[in-house]
Amino acid sequence: MNSLMVKALAFSATLMIATVVVVKYMNVDLSDPVNYITILGAAAIAFLTFGVAAKYINQMKTDKSTGELANESWDGIGEYKNEMPAGWAYSFLGTIIWGVWYWLSGYPLNAFSQIGQYNEEIKAYNIKFEATHANADAATLRDMGESVFLVQCAPCHGETGDGMSGKAHDLTSRIGKDQVLDVIKNGSNQLGFAMGAMPPMLAQGADAEAIATYVAGGMQGTAPAAFSACVACHGADGKGNNGMAPNLATYDETLVSNVLEHGKKGAIGAMPSFNTRLTPVQEKALATYIQTIKG
Amino acid sequence: MFHWLEKNPFFFAVGVFVVIAFAGLIEILPNFAEASRPVVNLKPYTVLEMAGKNIYKNENCITCHSQLIRPFKSETDRYGQVSLSGEYVYDRPFLWGSRRIGPDLHRVGNYRSTDWHENHMLDPKSVVPQSIMPAYPYMFTKTTDIDTAYAEALTVKKVFATPYDAPNGTKLGTLDEGRAAALEEAKAIAADMKNKDVKDAVARGEIPQIVALIAYLNRLK
Repeated sequence: MNSLMVKALAFSATLMIATVVVVKYMNVDLSDPVNYITILGAAAIAFLTFGVAAKYINQMKTDKSTGELANESWDGIGEYKNEMPAGWAYSFLGTIIWGVWYWLSGYPLNAFSQIGQYNEEIKAYNIKFEATHANADAATLRDMGESVFLVQCAPCHGETGDGMSGKAHDLTSRIGKDQVLDVIKNGSNQLGFAMGAMPPMLAQGADAEAIATYVAGGMQGTAPAAFSACVACHGADGKGNNGMAPNLATYDETLVSNVLEHGKKGAIGAMPSFNTRLTPVQEKALATYIQTIKG
Repeated sequence: MFHWLEKNPFFFAVGVFVVIAFAGLIEILPNFAEASRPVVNLKPYTVLEMAGKNIYKNENCITCHSQLIRPFKSETDRYGQVSLSGEYVYDRPFLWGSRRIGPDLHRVGNYRSTDWHENHMLDPKSVVPQSIMPAYPYMFTKTTDIDTAYAEALTVKKVFATPYDAPNGTKLGTLDEGRAAALEEAKAIAADMKNKDVKDAVARGEIPQIVALIAYLNRLK
């Protein structure tokens, strides 16, 4: 046994010892089959290392090269014109065939798309979300509404929903006097309610003032006579005839989802449409939350 | 033939380069050509929007704001639809950015309005109490450089064949027409604003920077 062989044996032994040390001192969980397979792999590598080394060390001692020499001589170093080993040649042909398959059908250029994968994830998430929250209770909806509100609404309406001193609509009360007067003066046809457009100038002067005071005050007490102009669409109680017209008393689901869908431009400024940005459940949650922040 | 190549390292290197470059082109070019076409209905920037974009670049908004929405649910929930490469074809250079000290702005026009930008640019903390964004009050008084924006639009029209003056597209016209169109657009935006100085300036025919910037931000959809 020559010194080369001893070195190969020592190297393999070191690999084996290292494997044993790792298993023994690093809390390897042997009940996990993955760890077992890994240890077997490590042992196999150690054995193979020695096997391969032994083969070539022997070959170096005994092998005589045969065959026809190529014409070139590179600084005295020659090259045999031996046949390529059959295994290599067949594997090479195999990779070409595999390459054609891979290129054309196995993994064509457009088979994977990042956007496609994203779409699948979103679809799966939405199905799960709808299933989980199909019959959510009021507390869940309120909490969900609060998180949606803080992300999507708070930048304009403020974290407390008070509209930040008139920079946006004040959600702690239903509607302000100026806003009522503005709608009476200009009419409104933005929100897509079944009742359709509200014509401008349904009431004027003192009548409009009286209506605005009454509506902005939360419709307490008896309605002024002029409020009869509003009753046909908004209902005697101002609640919008079950979603046919905007509810003047409180933020109901129809009102919230219509404003989110269509956006709104009013006395204060413009609110963009949030169409498709929120799911129906989130809109419902938002309506629930907005009702709870009434000041 | 290959023996000859082995004796001529230079031509060997050339051969290797050609083979690898060819493979690279086959991989890259079809995808690139596909992705770099403008998305349907994308119009070139109007002169006012271009001026706003220049202000955006000037103020280095890109240091804190990205303009690229990645395909993750957390991003699309907050910022809107995933960004497509075809949406950036008229951006020279694109303003993707790489840091998000502030939020992404690629679709800010979908969920913020003119009056919100007005409040926010004058005093960010007045609308977002925890905001660390600096205020830009001087934008309400400094006048926009419309002529440079027009020159840029004309240049990209001539050099890169950007489709200005195409049917149903963005009109560019002559310099005077470009100035007039920018002023018209500025008037429409100023009508939605509250600041009296800005309204007065636009009425005089001057366009404060804030108006151009808002035109640009509203266009980001």
